[in-house]
Amino acid sequence: MVASAIDTWRDAGRPSFTRPLLLVAAFMAGCDSGPPRGAGTTSAGDSVAAVEAELQAERAYQDAVRASDSLAHASVAQRDRFGGTIVVAGRNDIQTLNPLVATDMESVQHQAYVLFTTLVRSGPDFEPLPWLARDWTIDPEGDRITFHLRDDVYWHDGVPVTAADVAFTWERVVDPAVPFFNPSYFDAWEAVEVLDERTVRFTVRQRSNLLYGWAVTAILPEHILGEVPVDQLATHPFGTSSPIGSGPFRFVERVPGDRWVFEANPDFPDGLGGRPYADRLVYRQITEDAAAEAALRTGEIDMIVDADPASARRLAADSGLVVTSYPSAEYSLIAWNTRREPFDDPDVRKALTLAIDRESIARVVRGAYGSVSAGPVGPWHWTWDPEWKPLPYDPDSAAVLLDRAGWTYADSDGIREKAGRPLRFELYSTPRQAWQDVATIVQANLAEVGVEVQPRVREQAALIPLVTSPDRRFDAFLVGWSRDVPLDDRDLWACDRVDDPMHFTGWCLPELDAVLDSMQVVADRESLARLTRRYESLVADAQPYTFLFNVETILARRKGLRGVEADARGTWASVADWWLEPEWRR
Amino acid sequence: METLIRYVGSRLLQAIPLLIGVVTLIFLILHLAPGDPTAIWFNPGIPPEVLDRMRESMGLDRPLHEQYLYWLKSFLIGDFGYSYSQFRPVSEVIGDALPNTLLLGGVSLLVIFGIGITVGVWQAARRHTAADPALTFVSLFLYSMPGFWLGLMLILAASTWLSWVGLPVSGMTSIEHSQFGLFGRFADVAGHLVLPTIALGLGSAAGIARYVRGEMLEVLGQDYVRTARAKGLPERTVILRHALRNALLPVVSLLGLYLPLLFGGALVIEVVFSWPGMGRLMYDAVLARDYPLVLAASFLFAVLVIAGNLLADILYAAVDPRVRHA
Repeated sequence: MVASAIDTWRDAGRPSFTRPLLLVAAFMAGCDSGPPRGAGTTSAGDSVAAVEAELQAERAYQDAVRASDSLAHASVAQRDRFGGTIVVAGRNDIQTLNPLVATDMESVQHQAYVLFTTLVRSGPDFEPLPWLARDWTIDPEGDRITFHLRDDVYWHDGVPVTAADVAFTWERVVDPAVPFFNPSYFDAWEAVEVLDERTVRFTVRQRSNLLYGWAVTAILPEHILGEVPVDQLATHPFGTSSPIGSGPFRFVERVPGDRWVFEANPDFPDGLGGRPYADRLVYRQITEDAAAEAALRTGEIDMIVDADPASARRLAADSGLVVTSYPSAEYSLIAWNTRREPFDDPDVRKALTLAIDRESIARVVRGAYGSVSAGPVGPWHWTWDPEWKPLPYDPDSAAVLLDRAGWTYADSDGIREKAGRPLRFELYSTPRQAWQDVATIVQANLAEVGVEVQPRVREQAALIPLVTSPDRRFDAFLVGWSRDVPLDDRDLWACDRVDDPMHFTGWCLPELDAVLDSMQVVADRESLARLTRRYESLVADAQPYTFLFNVETILARRKGLRGVEADARGTWASVADWWLEPEWRR
Repeated sequence: METLIRYVGSRLLQAIPLLIGVVTLIFLILHLAPGDPTAIWFNPGIPPEVLDRMRESMGLDRPLHEQYLYWLKSFLIGDFGYSYSQFRPVSEVIGDALPNTLLLGGVSLLVIFGIGITVGVWQAARRHTAADPALTFVSLFLYSMPGFWLGLMLILAASTWLSWVGLPVSGMTSIEHSQFGLFGRFADVAGHLVLPTIALGLGSAAGIARYVRGEMLEVLGQDYVRTARAKGLPERTVILRHALRNALLPVVSLLGLYLPLLFGGALVIEVVFSWPGMGRLMYDAVLARDYPLVLAASFLFAVLVIAGNLLADILYAAVDPRVRHA
């Protein structure tokens, strides 16, 4: 019954899903046979409708999935949800579960949600909620914060988790000898004092998102790591071979380059959800997308994290599988080097953005699993404003802007010139196929308005020194990255940091600096949302980046795996509630 | 025998400067390539001071010749260093991965030469039947097929119309592996070996088959084969005892040449099948600019290649008296 709900719907609604593919094909063909203007304009109405239809079909599909999940929830009693092994596959291995050094998404999530506990936990809008700390009080002056810890959380070796562990964790992450990847989480935290076993008090400064660092940094066991010299913590085998945590799952074994195996922790306190449903949880590295897809179909694995959009379409057509997605903190962009002509002219940058068909790019690269990006804040963040629209795709206005900026057609080669210099630039990217596709579309779009793009490909490790070194010998590059909840983008824009590696564009604005600084110190959420809007509009006016698209993380799972409620907090945020329908257990 | 030992000894001595040359070259190429290990932490929000501190802790702030001498010295005393992308000592990382690659490579080698020689001999013995051109077609087809593509097709087949066989498509062991008995574990790994071995070995086996067939046809035309037949020996003895032994001489030297090819091929096949071996390790290590890991792994590859060549030469001397006595 549960199955038929989805199947019926798919029969009715799925076919329309393939139409945008044709649109893409037409678009690409247009590129090959000269200026795609004709193809673009005649089908503009159709294409908007097709994209809209695709997105609607996707929304309807996701609704059907949710309905089926809640039906399963209602029909299977809670006690029957326990049992089974859940196998999740991702592209990368988890290299270490040492919270002090691990930086990648999978590692950080396994620390925060699977193996360890955090002091607080983020709610859906990244508001801090009680977790290991059952509550906290802030002194009236706002400079001291006192956490009261739960007394029923134990390390997996039986030792209770205490205030000393919290103090120890903080002392280590802020220690300069420890290469903790984001010390800025704790730069407003100045001193710690253990009042008793369950009470710990910190001295703090005013800061927005003050508690966020505590929601992503796992508490470390002092009784195990306390004696390890500080400079050896990063290389200590604790994280790679024998991690002891305090979370809902315990470590069982690791096969390097292949998998991590965890088992349910029966002693996890009921107040935090109790024993998780699954008996075992496995994370496997499967590098090749096709192999992961095959493993999902044969039932070797139960879920693929971050599936490729192209395979997502195929997988969703399989009646035994379900594909869902959630907004991730990742977006992609073209960064313009405003230290160079012609990118020093804001009108040129704006013209380039207007001339690039970002909707087509988002569809080609992400299918239904992404959206055009309007600025540095995407749908994943609670300050995101759905009313805030990106610049339209408008080649005619782009042409007008370029004319006005002095870039005109001086001869018949189809490339604009100014003072004898043609409007031509190199666009760098890494060799990922998605970037090649984007570069091709950008090249075709800009050729239409008389701009010549020369795509250049560099492997990531080679591209980074090119764009970060002080001489900045590049015109523009394509990149995608993930941002963090505090939205501390001062390294990208601040006027006093133009020589810092991440200040790719060289564009800065004193007013923006003031906004970005305030964003890091205001405590109330309303002001923060207002400042974020201001940040977006200042960047949109100047277009130092052309924002391309926001990414949704795709989860493809077997239908019998239930309870996977993922959002921007990450795939594993709900891991303790995942359960397998009895007939889907292996 | 004594000459053989002296021969092997001198070859081993020659190998030492060769190995030092190889690793020095790789050291230089690695450091000349743009980028450094901190590239994997590329994300706005990581303060430049943190990256500088990481570079410092890896010794990357020192002049190149100092890094080289330091590295060479620790290398000579058997300290391969620390892998910054894996957060473990290099020796440990390689100790986990190398046996897996040797297993896959070894089994593939058996398959390559087992199938290749059998098919080649069989074809040569049935030269004037329809089976010969048919097999020629098949082996040329397989020989021309890239291993990674064959691998993807095998994965496709195993997950669709061959899914009833239940062959695993990725990894080396099942999740329940540690709960199996000895035989169960063996069967588990054997099952996981099937597809990667076919992908890695089939093309090469086809190549060997072509080669053996050619050699056999040449040998079968020799006077001593006619003599053997004239003596009234059964055809089976003629082919297996008299012709095959002579036809195999050049094939033996191929053995050494196939070793590096096998590891090169393993790099791709391991990625396709998520086989936790050296090929995949090295691929990731190069992208992450994990210098110590790349250097140690390439050193091992160089050792394997040199050992393979040496092995081929020794085998050649063992089977061919002319070489032994020269």
